[in-house]
Amino acid sequence: MCALAHYLEEEGIPAVAISLIRLHSEKIGPPRALWVPFELGRPLGAPKDEQFQIRVITRALRLLECAPGPAVLEDFPDDDPTAVDLPDWQPAFDFTAGSIDIGKREVLEHALRQELLAFAPFHERFVTAGRRTTVGLSGLSIDDCAGVLADCLAGSFPANPDPSANPVQALRWAVDDLKAYYLEAMSADGTMPSSRQMQSWFWDRTLAARAIIALRRQLLASDDKRSQAIGRMNLVPGAQVQRLGLQ
Amino acid sequence: MARMTDLPQATQTNMANLECPRFETTPFVSGPPLAERRVAVVTSAGLVRRGERPFISGDVDNRVLPADTPANQILMSHVSVNFDRTAFQRDINVVFPLDRLRTMEEAGTIGSLAATHYSFMGATDPRSMEANARAVAGRLKSDRVDAVLLTPV
Repeated sequence: MCALAHYLEEEGIPAVAISLIRLHSEKIGPPRALWVPFELGRPLGAPKDEQFQIRVITRALRLLECAPGPAVLEDFPDDDPTAVDLPDWQPAFDFTAGSIDIGKREVLEHALRQELLAFAPFHERFVTAGRRTTVGLSGLSIDDCAGVLADCLAGSFPANPDPSANPVQALRWAVDDLKAYYLEAMSADGTMPSSRQMQSWFWDRTLAARAIIALRRQLLASDDKRSQAIGRMNLVPGAQVQRLGLQ
Repeated sequence: MARMTDLPQATQTNMANLECPRFETTPFVSGPPLAERRVAVVTSAGLVRRGERPFISGDVDNRVLPADTPANQILMSHVSVNFDRTAFQRDINVVFPLDRLRTMEEAGTIGSLAATHYSFMGATDPRSMEANARAVAGRLKSDRVDAVLLTPV
């Protein structure tokens, strides 16, 4: 972001960057940046807190007219009030993935579809309430995303609709859609648990997560470097790799 | 909690070792008061419109996000899994705050909201995006934009 700000400013467009990694802003020295002490992925901090977000935006944009330049780096003073764990949080539904042999393709796909069926009413509630879903990168139905995951674990990668992209990309997009589906379903009750709580619940409790972790292991053992890269970087968050002690 | 010490050890190491570009110039453009400025958002969150090809690792191009694109038509295709997506899932404004800028426009805090906004794929060497960034600057000028808010993830 800071480098893009530099290029825009050189072209005569005044720009201010929100900075999530202060060290990088210090190194690059953009025209103006506001460092915020928020979690990666939340440049404006608190979701659904209009006043908080406007405070962040205003503080950043004011640097355009007030700051003596160049290379201004200011700190936003407040933490994201929603970035704390909710005591005893659980999703609104009681769910525990059954114990199945994920090495059997048909068994896994059937069980994944059953799991999706359990989450479906909650995902529908989430979409109805917010009139929005972030599921859709793959262009597949969510059931077909589960099929892709099961296929890949069985060694059969999906055909990619875009021949210019790495075939393994279709897998990544399907996995991204599955993760988004579950996390959105878990948000259906409108509570605001921390991302840490939601991620722990997903990675500890769902069959989908078990299958994704197994796929990661499989890709890491592959001879194909691009598959290895997807397995290493694009499936399981580093925080979960560390927390779960994955290799 | 994007303080370095709050990040997983591997992420801390990657962040600390990431090579950042150094620039010989220090451009700094002045302009009118904020209440008279036209504001655009440029994000490195890898946002795409539903149906577009998602970004993939190493993409240096950008996507165009017209201001009237419904929120349900905007997806996040950033390649990294090492940041929170749950906030964006609940509220697009956490990353792409057009609703908030409209509120600020109505309140007279900013002059106006640009007609078009832009998305890049972060986690890419920004030097490889220079040509596209400069091209976006040209389009921003055509839209009379004189303030850009850049949002990362």
